[in-house]
Amino acid sequence: MEKGGSDGAPISIEELNKLRRVAERARKNVIKMLFYDQSIHVGSSLSSIEILTTLIFRYIRNHSNLVDKDWLILSKGHAAPALYAVLAEKGYINEDELWRIQDISGLLQGHPEIFIPGVDMSTGSLGQGLSFGIGVATGIKMSGGSGRVYVIMGDGEQDEGEVWEAMTHAVVRNLDNLIAFIEMNNFQLDGPTDEIKPKNFLPKVWEAVGWKVLNCDGHDFISISNAIDEALKAGKPAVIFANTIRGKGFPAIENTKKQRSSPDDARKSLLDA
Amino acid sequence: MMQGNLYSMRETFGKLLAELGETEKDLIVITADVGDSTRAMYFREKFKDRYFNVGISEQDMVNFAAGLAAVGKKPAIVNFAMFLMRAWEQIRNSVARMNLDVKMFVTHAGYSDHGDGSSHQALEDIALMRVLPNMKVIVPADPKDIERSLPVIIKERGPIYYRMGRDYSPPITVGQEYDFKIGKAYVIKEGSDLVIMGAGVVLWDALKAAEELEKMGISTAVINLFSIKPIDEDTIEYYARKTGRVITIEEHSIYGGIGSAVAEVLVKRYPVPMRFIGATTFGRSARSQRDLLDYYNINYKSIIREAIDLVK
Repeated sequence: MEKGGSDGAPISIEELNKLRRVAERARKNVIKMLFYDQSIHVGSSLSSIEILTTLIFRYIRNHSNLVDKDWLILSKGHAAPALYAVLAEKGYINEDELWRIQDISGLLQGHPEIFIPGVDMSTGSLGQGLSFGIGVATGIKMSGGSGRVYVIMGDGEQDEGEVWEAMTHAVVRNLDNLIAFIEMNNFQLDGPTDEIKPKNFLPKVWEAVGWKVLNCDGHDFISISNAIDEALKAGKPAVIFANTIRGKGFPAIENTKKQRSSPDDARKSLLDA
Repeated sequence: MMQGNLYSMRETFGKLLAELGETEKDLIVITADVGDSTRAMYFREKFKDRYFNVGISEQDMVNFAAGLAAVGKKPAIVNFAMFLMRAWEQIRNSVARMNLDVKMFVTHAGYSDHGDGSSHQALEDIALMRVLPNMKVIVPADPKDIERSLPVIIKERGPIYYRMGRDYSPPITVGQEYDFKIGKAYVIKEGSDLVIMGAGVVLWDALKAAEELEKMGISTAVINLFSIKPIDEDTIEYYARKTGRVITIEEHSIYGGIGSAVAEVLVKRYPVPMRFIGATTFGRSARSQRDLLDYYNINYKSIIREAIDLVK
């Protein structure tokens, strides 16, 4: 089996530099997609880049056997452009496809679909990924497989009732092969989470339910890796609250509720970088 | 009217599912805290390791099943029809969209949960499931039909919605010679002046009406539309041509249900005058399912009335 490379191993300078280069290119490519389609969810995508890069380049093990491979479920499916950009860096998707995102003849859909290489669950409707992940992780354990399941959710997504259903379910199954990320970028579609439904109590809830609760800086590879390493040792389902910034690295929308911007802003941002 | 455990839909289903667990080693049964009422409990008693009660969490149940299917397991959801509808969007966006091998066995459909009233009576589920790409919709008429079809359904790949009532199950197809095949309709009584098409326990009314109509000189065929989707277009067209008059009956809303499915076929292949018998509003509580069918005029008397009107 291909090693994820990590499992407790410290990140070398070379690896760190590689992750940075990958994330930087992916970030630029997400912003560049705005030249081709202005309706993609840029803000939510940019907040997920480092987490996706860390998982895809450092942890996710590919395997032909469904129960020995690691699964990556982007429950916050609207961050699909970030997933595609990182998958393109990994070589799963031809870079040219990125410029045809959401085009009628293109491969890449507005939200992930399993016919896209590297996509393990069709998502787009919030709140569904964790339950699916529990099913996968349970199936893996029933078969004696070695696969792990990573689920990435948003903070706004925590409003969905199904998340509660899944949160309370996972601990009953003793799923030590399930790791959830909750990206705390503090915005949901209509505005700041504080003004819509505050999320600051969430870590306490997850902990009370029985999860191993961890925190990380969602834009720092070392912090993310440390949290994943801890999570893999937890012996029970683990959730990592990742502090992120919506629109990270794109001044036109950074730390706002805005998902989108103009090609002019994108051009300016890429030239300044 | 035959009732009680011997002729109960859920009893037959639950016992047979537990039997099938012996040979279908990948089969996993999942329910949302209704294992006893649906009789999934028989499976639990035999295969504790392959039985999951996810609690009162229908949305989670559906995606949990989807995840299990994604790693090659064979999950079978067993739940009340109505409460599975709460997770229709999950069924649509995860199960149907990824075309996953998730079986949905529902009990308590139609008026069969007579006492609990309108909140528990699923009269819209066929319409909701029929509209989903990749989804197959199967409605057995009686315990004998369950015995015919369940082994086939378990083996079939892909999402299937399999709809049953609770206990009420008058004998309809006992003594009939046919094997179940997905996409096939079955002629359970021949006739040439009129054809009644439907599915589920109300086919008892269809047969009773046909018997009465014969006495009046109206030769009436009865078709068991076991497979609502895919639907047997050839048989439907053949009997529309042969008889020229169609009555549909269903323990379900006439909007978007079985009658609609038949009409969709006939409008494009051979339009004939039709009558639709089924629900048009929410149900209510009653002491028996039979009382409700009679109260809402989903019974043989209605069929006879419509038949006389069509034939004259």
